[in-house]
Amino acid sequence: MRQPLDWQIATLKDVKPETAKVKSFTFTLPNWIQHRAGQHYDLRLTAEDGYQAQRSYSIASEPEQEGEIDLTVERIEDGEVSTYLHDVLVPGDRLEMRGPIGGYFVWEATFIPEPLVLIGGGSGVVPLMSMIRHRAVAGSQVPTRLLYSVRTFEDIIYFNELEKLRADGSGLEVFYTLTRSQPPNWNGYNRRIDDQMLKELIKPFDKSAQVFICGPTLLVEAAANSLVKLGLPVAQIRTERFGPTGA
Amino acid sequence: MNETSTDINHELTLDANATAGLLHEIFGVEMTAAPTECANCGNEAEVGTLLAFTHGPGFVLRCSACEHIVLRVVETPEAIYLDARGAVYLRLARSRNKPLENDALGG
Repeated sequence: MRQPLDWQIATLKDVKPETAKVKSFTFTLPNWIQHRAGQHYDLRLTAEDGYQAQRSYSIASEPEQEGEIDLTVERIEDGEVSTYLHDVLVPGDRLEMRGPIGGYFVWEATFIPEPLVLIGGGSGVVPLMSMIRHRAVAGSQVPTRLLYSVRTFEDIIYFNELEKLRADGSGLEVFYTLTRSQPPNWNGYNRRIDDQMLKELIKPFDKSAQVFICGPTLLVEAAANSLVKLGLPVAQIRTERFGPTGA
Repeated sequence: MNETSTDINHELTLDANATAGLLHEIFGVEMTAAPTECANCGNEAEVGTLLAFTHGPGFVLRCSACEHIVLRVVETPEAIYLDARGAVYLRLARSRNKPLENDALGG
């Protein structure tokens, strides 16, 4: 049986621009294994001289999408792998990948139906989107609140899809905070994630919420520390740090 | 090597999830959901809770409670070096296909 750790050659099927700096890449996999929402793939590039660069990217698509996966990747200016994906790779091109990887930062619709709180900063929303899509496809009604922090309105990834899903009556609520600038008549949050925002976020769920936080390290730490201060048990908070902002 | 937490650059901290692929390679099973115990403070938690520092030539995983080093891994072209003296134990699941009981949130 094929194991997730075997490298395989994926083929790029489609590229979809999400924002100015973010694209979603659909890859077909010859040895596809159903993932769990929140897992990632390792990508490996090898230069002619043998030099290798390897990065991990969260899966954006739901596990129910068979034979292929979507990776949503932010273009990092001096990034070795993200610039290649954004600037060089075209449909039909092939790439070494292994996965799905990870088992800690995952959520499945079959889990005990505790309310779900998802907190994302920038492209940290990607593994959370896999959970949201999985929740929708599985027909889960678990009360779910997403708090999504980005700099500007234009930086919101998946906006149209999130707006559609929040209106489907399944109990998904979406809150945005735009930390740098806001469009006219913006009625969402307009500051960095803070204690007050998190208090409002978890209020309907009290202390039963299962929390997933993903984003730049400092955002993740601030949010996790605030939630612990608000009385949420540490074991109910799962984090995935991306490193320095913009890195 | 300085093992106190004073040398930590928090902005560079990642989670052990970032090292999940290599951990899987070393142990032969998915490790981020595997329970472990910090030899310094006794905190018991999944490997995925450990703080990861990956900017050196290898990587270091620290306890999220006391920030002491739990695991150190260095790769060379010929071998992988693992220093696990900071862990009292690591629990490796036998079955690869069946999810662990503690895999389920709230379970």
